[in-house]
Amino acid sequence: MRAFLVIIALGFSMAIMISIPAGIIANQKSTQNLTENFNSTISNMEEEINKTSTLIECSTSSGQSMFSGSPSGRSSGMPNFGFGQGEVFINETIGDEIRSVDGVKDVVPFLVKSSEENTSETISTPRGDFTVSRPLYTITGVCLNSSFIDDYSILPTNITAGRNLREGDSGVLVMSLNLTDYFGVEVDGNVEVNGESFTVVGVYNSTGQGFTGTRTVYMNLSDAQTVTGEIGNVSRFDVYAKDASYVDGIAEVIRAAYSNLYVTTYKDRLTSLENMQATYTETLSNAQSTLSQTQTVATQEIIVAVAATSLIVLFVMLYTVRERTKEIGTLKAIGFSNWNVMSQFLLEGILISLMAAVVGIAIGSIGAPILSSLLLPQINLFGGSSGRFQPMFRSANSGITGSQAASATLDPQLMLLAFGAAVLLGALGSLYPAGRAARIRPAEAMRYE
Amino acid sequence: MSESILKTEKLTKVYAMGKRKIPALSGVDLQVNKGEFVAIMGPSGSGKTTLLNVLGCLDKPTSGKVILDEVDVAKLPEKELYKVRRDKIGFIFQTFNLLPYLNAIENVELPMECTKKSKSERRKRSRELLELVGLAGREEHRPQRLSAGEQQRVAIARALANNPAIILADEPTGNLDTKNKYEIVRLLANLNIDRGTTVVMVTHDSHMASQTERMLLLNDGKITKEKQGLHLTKKKLLCPYCGSKIQLNDERCPSCKKRL
Repeated sequence: MRAFLVIIALGFSMAIMISIPAGIIANQKSTQNLTENFNSTISNMEEEINKTSTLIECSTSSGQSMFSGSPSGRSSGMPNFGFGQGEVFINETIGDEIRSVDGVKDVVPFLVKSSEENTSETISTPRGDFTVSRPLYTITGVCLNSSFIDDYSILPTNITAGRNLREGDSGVLVMSLNLTDYFGVEVDGNVEVNGESFTVVGVYNSTGQGFTGTRTVYMNLSDAQTVTGEIGNVSRFDVYAKDASYVDGIAEVIRAAYSNLYVTTYKDRLTSLENMQATYTETLSNAQSTLSQTQTVATQEIIVAVAATSLIVLFVMLYTVRERTKEIGTLKAIGFSNWNVMSQFLLEGILISLMAAVVGIAIGSIGAPILSSLLLPQINLFGGSSGRFQPMFRSANSGITGSQAASATLDPQLMLLAFGAAVLLGALGSLYPAGRAARIRPAEAMRYE
Repeated sequence: MSESILKTEKLTKVYAMGKRKIPALSGVDLQVNKGEFVAIMGPSGSGKTTLLNVLGCLDKPTSGKVILDEVDVAKLPEKELYKVRRDKIGFIFQTFNLLPYLNAIENVELPMECTKKSKSERRKRSRELLELVGLAGREEHRPQRLSAGEQQRVAIARALANNPAIILADEPTGNLDTKNKYEIVRLLANLNIDRGTTVVMVTHDSHMASQTERMLLLNDGKITKEKQGLHLTKKKLLCPYCGSKIQLNDERCPSCKKRL
């Protein structure tokens, strides 16, 4: 019974001992994941930006840039948090005026407007959960000119069923996969958008663009203008220059002529990418410094756990030796050498701590996440970043924030380490008691009751 | 003259209690010959146990010689003594001192643990010894499931394990009832006669002591008197109930008719 309690107690301290490295390893992994994730996001965006050196985005709202959910998957996946608000529209004839600017090759108009239906949903951020009411989906009208479709990526990619939109389409739409459940339709089914009936000709997968994937229906520009009631209006022009050298000039002209348009060029996008990169770097370095803090704490805690374990062994074995003094006397009287006696007790100490290691691994394999989250300071991966970026990291690898402690698991190497530590600490802790046992003088021990 | 197996010369032992020195043995000269059954008697505090501890190499004398099987063990360094205890001496204790978590046969095997005997040899010898002390069939019993007399028999078997030159028994019957006392003495007497085992028994029970060949009386750390026991001359014991003389292997006492 006593041995049982001792083993349980030792088991706990061993569990703590191995849960801490497990937690550290998990933290390191999450930081590494985060780094990889950041790097891939940045490089994807860089790639996209480089592809579109001739693109000048002219949008009616600041949120509608290429980073905010434009079609075609060149979006980084940042959701537009300005749902429904600040949706401003301009006359599509402005597109014709822009086309006449020197160096402009094409002007592609878009209409992006929220649906009339709303939905409320809970968004978790590291700052807590809050519920927002937002439009159910976004209606995007695209100018279905075949040369635009061929030359520029204006339509959704990742078509999973049916076909994409093409020139001459009317009364049809392509919807994101996450909307098919809501509407309960498949390809060739009919849906109502703002009260008008449309046939679904294709479905595309939008996950990876925004934290739940943007929910969008794509349709002909004029259809979109009709259903949204924005006849003759658009919300964005994608202006393509003949050559990258014209870009700055065109942007200057547009900025001067249309103060209500937000003009974004390749350079602007690059700048904003750099800003984003800086934020990422800051976030990462915050994570790294927290990690190194965590490691310091962990080292101290491991030292305490190791000391506690060997002290438990020490005291238990001292008690055992005292309790069994007479037995030790007997063993010596019948011919056990000092070394025989000593090794007997060393072995016993090692055995106890080995059993404790088994218990500790059992506790640790269940409780490592809890133990490590209790014992280690939590890494705040978003310590230095602005709120705007938070959901992005979340979307890019769902659960980075929650994953650090939850993934603290015992791998076989750690278990092996635990057994090694058990042998070592068992031997260490029982060294002195065993030595004492060995030095007991048999004549005195026999008198001991 | 028979061969001496154990001999002491001017043996003294002084315990230091702080500055006070307490002499426990003050010049003991004794000789035990091979095949003898000797009792050491004395009142409590006379130094019986100290003498036995010194004889058994559990304690070092302050001065004097202890010649055991022609070796002066008093001169041996501490770390050599365990070999003497293991190979030359068999100990029997008043409180049996069996290991409670080992069964009978494992307790008997214990002294052979640190010898070169193989596992099967040890087991075989232990089985034979348990049979010799009349415990065949009880090998797997733990001490708590054995009676006091049986436990002492296991202890005797254990003492015989390494075929020692001498058996030292410290009040072996002190914790036993009359019947068991008699049985243990008879067992020791039988071992002494049949196998020629040398036995030195410390006791304060004169009845027990008189069953041996020779009684040494210890008083204030000195041997003051020597008496002949029954065992030497007549190979007889005393009935534990009526005190009359009986044959070693009598089933019943001829005079009081009690079962032995």
